[in-house]
Parts: sequence; structure tokens; C-alpha cells
Amino acid sequence: MEYDVVVVGSGPAGSVTARFAAEAGANVLILERRAEVGVPVLCGEGISQRVDKWDMLEGKRWIASKMDGAKIYSPNGTLVTLSKEVAGNETGYVVYRDIFDQELARRAVKAGAKILMRAEVTDLLKDGGKISGVKVRQFNEEFNIKADVVVGADGVESKIGQWAGFNTILKPGDLETCVQYTLTNVDHKSDYCEFFLGKKIAPGGYVWIFPKGKDTFNVGIGILASLSKPGMPLKLLNKFISNHSDLKKGEPVRLLAGAVPVANPIETVRDNLLLVGDAARHSDPITGGGLTTALEGGKIAGVTIGKAVEKKTFDKEILSIYETNWKETFGKKLHRDYVLKNILLDFEDKTLNMLADSLKDYKFEEFSTLSLIKALVFKHPTLLMKLKPLLKLSEKSK
Amino acid sequence: MGKLNTKVDERGCLACGGCISICPQAALIMFGGRAFVREDKCICCGICIKTCPIGAICEVD
Repeated sequence: MEYDVVVVGSGPAGSVTARFAAEAGANVLILERRAEVGVPVLCGEGISQRVDKWDMLEGKRWIASKMDGAKIYSPNGTLVTLSKEVAGNETGYVVYRDIFDQELARRAVKAGAKILMRAEVTDLLKDGGKISGVKVRQFNEEFNIKADVVVGADGVESKIGQWAGFNTILKPGDLETCVQYTLTNVDHKSDYCEFFLGKKIAPGGYVWIFPKGKDTFNVGIGILASLSKPGMPLKLLNKFISNHSDLKKGEPVRLLAGAVPVANPIETVRDNLLLVGDAARHSDPITGGGLTTALEGGKIAGVTIGKAVEKKTFDKEILSIYETNWKETFGKKLHRDYVLKNILLDFEDKTLNMLADSLKDYKFEEFSTLSLIKALVFKHPTLLMKLKPLLKLSEKSK
Repeated sequence: MGKLNTKVDERGCLACGGCISICPQAALIMFGGRAFVREDKCICCGICIKTCPIGAICEVD
């Protein structure tokens, strides 16, 4: 088998890369090791409504609910609210990630991409040192697929990145280890996504409650792996739920685990190869959100590959257009939030309580991390010394 | 006492990939929707055991 492009992984970054490469005329194959695109879900399922402007998803079937804003609870329960009224109506959706992923894959197929299911990549194919495709195992067969470009869209544990010689191994301080229940029959009225902070609640992370429509909620936890102990996320999540008067009446219809890079983005390009999505560490180090960057990065990757196919040149130089453009589009923001993550990790619970107290009646200008940083600096000029480098990074990342 | 080995409980693993992403020896692989430890590469450092969100990795004799 021979293709222009082989994409390893049919998550959002892989499917969007495949779609835009195919739309530019490339002959594209997606390899998926699972038996169903999008299953099992490994995600909190929140996404910004900015996605509406991007022509990525058709219809509404992938939307579970629309959020009215965010409520952030400090360790002592002090509430900071970012509501849609003050945030210019642009907040977020809670999605069905399985349908979401299948819709993105459908768009890739519509553009001409092919998909092989249950196809596990076991190694890169090399031709005199040059990456020339992948080795695949599907059911009991092993075979090679030749391609001019290999796209590693194989998630947080990316093997493609390792095989291509990137240093993709995450430090425990750069990974959030997560579990989530989808709880039903919950007696909780909220159209907000809610976040709970505190060293006793979720060390180096947070607990979230995302409304999924009617009486159903995604309730999850992320803990920084360097601060975790065996099974700690599940234990702390169970404790949180049993202490929450509304949630404890609910019953789970789903339990899932997840691992989210909260790292600085890495190098993403080699001759004949690039990395997208979680494999490229394109998730936000503060929020852990990675869907919008997967979509934006995937589009940039697909368009770049389209140009490479047109010019029949697949070296690092031409593929670097992708790296330059993702850095411009969201790379600076990811770096800013990585610096901010490390500052926030040093804050004691009482500092977070004090900061939340000063922001409890604050009217935020927009629904963003930047808006929170600005408010903190406005309220606490002494924090300015610590946060000043961030504001500089923020100006750059606009 | 023999050498301790790190093992993933295959009935517990939810395939999040966290252990694979942080293993400094690249000794873990995903196979058939579950994580597995390659004993020839594992140095029993315990990082994956601490990281597993549901406690599905442990040391065994």
C-alpha cells in the first residue's frame, strides 16, 4: 500500500489533519488501532464556542449542552464567576466526544481520506535513514504502508514521536492524571462548568463538574502526577462526590481515565514526519483543554502537507511552515500558561482563598485565562512582580 | 526473594496512556486496549505506579 500521507490516530487532531490534507489533493490514509473512532472517550468533553466559527463540525448532534459560564471555587469555597453576560456570550459547549470525533472523521472521509480500523502501528518504516512509512499489524497480518509524510496523532503516549527521535517522555510534573464519572439522576441545577481548587481536593489540579444535559453531569478530577499516589485521583474523586450533597445521590453510567500533558510544547517536525494534538503536547497547561488546539493545529498541519504534496517536497524545511504557524496561532499562549502553571503551583491554599475573595464580585471582560490574570494584577499590584513576565507573554500571544 | 516486577492489572486498566507517557525507560506499551510492562526494559522505578489514576499498576514478586 502506498499513500502521500499516513495519519496515525483518528482523534480530532488526526482527522482534521487528514481532512485538510485530502482537501488540498493529497492521498490520505488514517490508521486507528481501536475498533471504533472516538471510543473509549478519554476526555472531560468541554470546548470553547469559538469552534462555531471554524467550519469543523456540521449539525448539532455532537453538542450535549451549552454552558452559561464558569464558576471557580477556591479551597474554602469562595466563588469566582465568569458568566456569559459579562463574557460577551462566548463560553463553551459540553460535547459527546465519541460523536464529535466521528463527525470530524466523517469530514475527513468526505474529503477523500481512507480509514483502516484495528490497525496498530508497530514501527516507522525507514529507507536508508529516511522515514518512508509505517509498519502495521491488523488482526493476524503484518504489512508495510509507504507514505511521503507520517503524521503522529497518537495522543499523550505518542510512540511515533519516540520512534522519530523526539524527546516525548513527560516529567511527572508535566502530566495531569485524571478520572471522570458521568453521573446521572443528579439533583444538581447548573448550566455552568464548575471548578474546585485546593491541595486537599486535587493536588496540582482541580475537580470539575460539567453539565451534560438534564440530570447528567461529567464529574472528574485531575492531579499533577508528581503529587499523586497510586489510585489517588479515583479516591479523591469518590471522596468529593460523597461529600457533595447533590452529586452523592447520582449513579455513574460511565467511568473513564485520562492523562493530559500540561507541558511546554515540543519540536514537532522532522523530514517526512510531523506531530499533532496531544502527541505534540498541544494542550493548555492551566486548563488541560486540548480540543481547540487539536483542531487549529490539525488544520495548519493539513494545509502545510497539502503544499508539500503539491511541491513533491517533504523535508523538514517545508513541513516547518506547520511549526511556525502553530507557534504563532497558539504556541505563545501555551508557553504563557506553562509559566503561569508553575507560579500557581507555588500558591498556598490561603493565597488562593485571598485571591478568590478579592475577585468574587469582579466583572470579567472575557471568558479566558488572560482575563483572570489581568483581574489578579489589577487587584493585587504586589503580584505584579511575579505575574509581569506573563503579561508580556500575553501581549505576544494575542 | 526474587526480583520485583511491575505489572498492570489488565482487568483494571482503562487505557488512558498516562503510564506510557511518563515512563523514563519507554518500557510500557499499549496492546489490545490495555497497557503492558516490558520486563526487559522496566527498572521498577515506580513512577507509573504513582501515576495510575485508578491504582491498576503494582509491584509483584
